[in-house]
Amino acid sequence: MPIQLTSQAYCKMLLHAAKYPNCAVNGLLVAEKTKDRKKDSEPVLCVDCLPLFHGTLALAPMLEVALTLVTPCLRSLSHLSCRPNQVAEKVAARISENFSDAAIVMIDNSRLTMSCFEPIVIIYDHHENKWKSRDVTLDSFEDWSEAQKITSALLEGRSYENLIDFDNHLDDLRNDWTNPMINKSVLDLC
Amino acid sequence: MASVSEMYDVGWEEMRDKLRKWREDNRRNSEQIVEVGEELISEHASKLGDDIWIIYEQVMIAALDCSRDDLALTCLQELRKQFPDSHRVKRLAGMRLEALERYEEANKHYDAILQDDPTNTAARKRKIAILKAQGKSTEAIRELNEYLEQFVGDQEAWHELSELYINEHDYGKAAFCLEELMMTNPHNHLYCEQYAEVKYTQGGLENMELSRKYFAQALRLNNRNMRALFGLYMSASHIASSPKVSAKVKKDNIKYAAWAATQINRAYKLAGRGTKETKYSVKAVEEMLESMQITMS
Repeated sequence: MPIQLTSQAYCKMLLHAAKYPNCAVNGLLVAEKTKDRKKDSEPVLCVDCLPLFHGTLALAPMLEVALTLVTPCLRSLSHLSCRPNQVAEKVAARISENFSDAAIVMIDNSRLTMSCFEPIVIIYDHHENKWKSRDVTLDSFEDWSEAQKITSALLEGRSYENLIDFDNHLDDLRNDWTNPMINKSVLDLC
Repeated sequence: MASVSEMYDVGWEEMRDKLRKWREDNRRNSEQIVEVGEELISEHASKLGDDIWIIYEQVMIAALDCSRDDLALTCLQELRKQFPDSHRVKRLAGMRLEALERYEEANKHYDAILQDDPTNTAARKRKIAILKAQGKSTEAIRELNEYLEQFVGDQEAWHELSELYINEHDYGKAAFCLEELMMTNPHNHLYCEQYAEVKYTQGGLENMELSRKYFAQALRLNNRNMRALFGLYMSASHIASSPKVSAKVKKDNIKYAAWAATQINRAYKLAGRGTKETKYSVKAVEEMLESMQITMS
């Protein structure tokens, strides 16, 4: 099941990683609910990223809260920023319970730069009980040059300082983890 | 490019005080520390008096976090000139090598310190940090356990060990570490809440009940801890929907969950007052609570 990332989804993933350089981070990528896809080979478009946690990723209760809050309205996949370890696989398995497919998208931290000259994500699909990585091409993006331009601009402008993840939301409920301001910045740059 | 003092309209004293506050709060906002500290050091060094040495140390560590080796080296050199035989400065030199991923050399540095002073806890902890950075979790855990046998009161170390165990999914041992922390810090709501999260993750009815009790305890210590509130709701709901519990236990837990749900809704409404955006969250939470009620009954 091929997936495609919009600029907003890719950008927010990277901003989350950039905000917490000394922690592992994770989050959810959300795709639009499609009534029916004509063929299985049509890519699923991930339109947004909901950053979840930074620091300790392996504890269940808050993750369950986040997934339950998000589940009713969206079809989702997941992303994390270290090797797909047990946590990533457990989250993906939980997502698979409610949705037909789950994938893991990971950021390769070592290639994170301000200019974002190349896509630095790795996509893993579930085949026969194992997670296998797949080649990422420019087709994995709705519009790579736009994604690159926007992400680079927001990284340089340090927009990640204003990114809110679910952890920040739990610290102060007024923090909005849908990040409307950053979404607006992305739209403005499109 | 505008200086910090220009952009925020602050004088050097405020910058110095800000750095002190960040030191006292043990904050890792390295980009900000580098920005403020670099300007303070380059423009106002003479005014800082003896404060300058601790500021050099603080800025150096922040510079390492931001890959500013140039700045880190400058700070290190000043400190070396002033304190040529200091173990504290040697440790900073070791940290710089760690940042450059020259782990062998860094280890040699720390071993030299420990030869001179076997009780130097900072050097021992840096060696464990290197194991962690290299992904050698098992060794890091082993070394940290040995360290704690000697330095049983080191809370930072207990907490670090609990995190290492959590990452290895060894929740039982993580819980043990948190129990140590709760014993010595009975009023710390964060330790209670983390302990409850670990118990919840371990799963099973007994752990779920313990989890609920500790979420409740965390709330008693701090009634604004949202994680504890959500945790109380989730754990009570899970217990209530378990087929293994008696009717009374089920009824009690439904009550606890209902109470938590009301508090959660209230907290969201309070937060949402005046802002359009959080209406999404309020609605989402209401829906979540409703859907869980259905599965419980």
